[in-house]
Amino acid sequence: MQVRRLAAWVALPLSAALALAACGSGGGSGSSNPDGVISIGIGEPQHLLPGNTHETEGAQVMAALYSPLVNFDEAGKPFEVAAESITSTDNKVWTIKLKDGKFHNGEAVDADSFINSWNFTAYGPNAQDNSFFFDKFQGWADLNPSDANVVPTQKTLSGLKKIDDKTIEVTLSAPFTEFRSLLGYTAFYPLPKAAFQDPAATPLVLKTDFEQAPIGNGAFKIKGNWQHDQQIEVERFADFTGEKPKVGGILFRIYQNQGAQYADLLANNLDVVKTIPTESLATVQGDLGDRFRQSPSSSFQFLAFPTFDARFSKPEVRKAISMAINREEIVQQVFQGSQKAAYSFVSPVVAGYRDNTCGVNCEFKPAEAKAAYQAAGGPSSLNITYNADGGHKQWVDATCNQLKANLGVECVGTPEAKFADLLQKVEDKAEVGMFRLGWSFDYPSMENYLGPLYTTDGSSNYYGYSNPAFDTLVKEGAAAPTPDDSIKKYQEAEDILVQDMPVLPLRFGQNNYGFSTKVQNVELDLFSRVDLNKIEAVS
Amino acid sequence: MSDFETVAATEFHTAQPGPAGDVNAPSQPHSMETQKPRSAGADAWRELRRKPLFWIGLVLALFALVMAFWPSLFTSADPQTCQLSRRMAPASGGAIFGFDVQGCDVYAKAVYGTKNSLMIGGLAALLAGVVAMLLGVTAGYFGRWWDAIVSRVVDIVLGLPLLLAGIVFMRRVANAGGGANARVWALIAILGLLGWTTAARVIRSSVITAKQQDYVHAARMLGAGHGRIMLRHILPNALAPFIVIITMALGAFIAAEATLSFLGVGLIPPSQSWGLSISEMYPYMRENAIPLAVPSAFLALTVLAFIILGDTIREAFDPKLR
Repeated sequence: MQVRRLAAWVALPLSAALALAACGSGGGSGSSNPDGVISIGIGEPQHLLPGNTHETEGAQVMAALYSPLVNFDEAGKPFEVAAESITSTDNKVWTIKLKDGKFHNGEAVDADSFINSWNFTAYGPNAQDNSFFFDKFQGWADLNPSDANVVPTQKTLSGLKKIDDKTIEVTLSAPFTEFRSLLGYTAFYPLPKAAFQDPAATPLVLKTDFEQAPIGNGAFKIKGNWQHDQQIEVERFADFTGEKPKVGGILFRIYQNQGAQYADLLANNLDVVKTIPTESLATVQGDLGDRFRQSPSSSFQFLAFPTFDARFSKPEVRKAISMAINREEIVQQVFQGSQKAAYSFVSPVVAGYRDNTCGVNCEFKPAEAKAAYQAAGGPSSLNITYNADGGHKQWVDATCNQLKANLGVECVGTPEAKFADLLQKVEDKAEVGMFRLGWSFDYPSMENYLGPLYTTDGSSNYYGYSNPAFDTLVKEGAAAPTPDDSIKKYQEAEDILVQDMPVLPLRFGQNNYGFSTKVQNVELDLFSRVDLNKIEAVS
Repeated sequence: MSDFETVAATEFHTAQPGPAGDVNAPSQPHSMETQKPRSAGADAWRELRRKPLFWIGLVLALFALVMAFWPSLFTSADPQTCQLSRRMAPASGGAIFGFDVQGCDVYAKAVYGTKNSLMIGGLAALLAGVVAMLLGVTAGYFGRWWDAIVSRVVDIVLGLPLLLAGIVFMRRVANAGGGANARVWALIAILGLLGWTTAARVIRSSVITAKQQDYVHAARMLGAGHGRIMLRHILPNALAPFIVIITMALGAFIAAEATLSFLGVGLIPPSQSWGLSISEMYPYMRENAIPLAVPSAFLALTVLAFIILGDTIREAFDPKLR
């Protein structure tokens, strides 16, 4: 849960209502070739394993190889895919019934496939990055003792029970109304028996090279192995029982940087680029015409303060800095209008979003900001730490220039080579000054923008923010009987953030993608993944 | 140039060489009685004065020097003041080349970048010159085992590609948390310590030639010590090719600084540097090429100036090319 949403290659898009555009010229003109092979540009995935894939590059490949329990419609509502039904009477004990399905090696997908996968991921010593997603399950704490050197007393989640071959019962440690949405995430994919050295053993041990050629239950199966830093090729899985894809295969070509990806798209060597590089946004219209598309995304960019640092511990200082930033200008000039200025802490793509909750704290008022900053005794020199591998330099420099001009302070952008380096420095409480973070949701819910980021023990609360009233409201929201009741509590929690301003909302991402003349019906889903069921090859 | 001329001229008189014994002697020995003898330096100067290329190089180099020391003579704008509202705006007022992607004055940035480029190039050349001088002169003069050691060291350092070693070294500095100023000194050090080899070879061979001369033997017989012979008799006569090499190296060092900054391992903001500007602006080349072209042109012209200077001086000193 840590690094990925904040990951470098931002922008998780919502599958856009682009139906109109798709009917226009260029986009949907050719006839479809059902056996065509298309190529999609990605970065090198960190992992191809349900328990460890938490960044958008790996998630794109996993979406081809695996079929999830639920997926999401355009409004962010979950619907069943590999699951027949997911029901509960009290939001605490959930029953998941499965459809028939097959893994690529012929094994049937049954209750054990999910239970094994989840137990493996949740077991602390396996060090799976997605283990955190199971913390709402009963028994997770027993598998993850706070001291990492202690061997857990339990080997499996006590909240997981197999009723029969097609039925799983999940018991949560506390009621969670939006549990169905949670199940759409990569962490909840199943694993076949062939993934484990001994499928009957506890704890389970993964075959060492499983990741190099993962066996999934999805519409595509891997062809050969994962060729690191080169490509991953998948082909249509003939025995897939779900919705059939409209292409014969997909070549995921792995790039080191976005610029090269974009150049290959222009040369028609690559079919889909999911993120147009910032520096090409000014020319992309001319380059691609209506093959350049935009859609809303769940990503949220913000500037965080180390609130444990005495210079930033006063909310007044943080508010003054917020008022000295002209968000609109950065969006227009740096991003060419391809993102939206953020005046709320929760993305517009989830239910419960309210426009401009930040109010006066996010309004651009340079004169008032300067007076307030001086009155609050803000530091005379600032810096913004960012990761150099994500195309953040331009807007960080621009933000610094605004702070210099509007607050009369010194300000420099400080690059860290990788995002992980930045987080490490923050965790070590090194002098980072302000730092940039980004967030894309794991499941479409307000809770996902609040709980992990700002609760006292939140998995991605890097700024040392703690407000008991906020913690209580988030907890009450998760346990509320209906989604509407949840949202009310979450909105109250968001209002507390506005008073404290532990971070400054800057922008809501949009997805900016482009495709070649050889494909059509290109859409990106909630998780910045190309919708592999819709995309077609032009014959 | 004038310094060199005086030194060489003084040397000529001090050493009192016979007309036939000194290779540097003027080419008309029969006119010795009637005409004041000219040194090699004076000869070269006469030659240089007539070359337009030399004057172009000199003017450009002086221009760059003035710009480095007094940037405010050329622009009243502050290169650090950037307004996003002026992003890629066309030329206006003092900003004769318009504004870049951050709304900074392109011309002011290029003008203020001159200082770092010349300072790094100049100090690195100085460092390289001092190292080359010490090792080259002593190796050529003393010969034997010391010469062998120095020559092998030269071979080894020559085997290290300047850019590769520069990248590795600068990465270390960056990882050690070197700030903007530390980077400047680190660049000077690495360029100087890797760039002295050619100059050392050249000066070594000049010294070997010079120490065979009669006036050196004469000085030694008159009881002059090693230090005096090296400094007063050999060095002035071996200096010309060395100056040429160092002048050209200066141009190369400026280019190397820009290259390393472009690759992200050289200077970092808030330092101003042409290489930095180029690396920041090249992704936007297709949108607006001017913010990229201006620092590139400044860089190219400055490097060209020093290469031309070095080249014309070399030609002037080499009788075969006259």
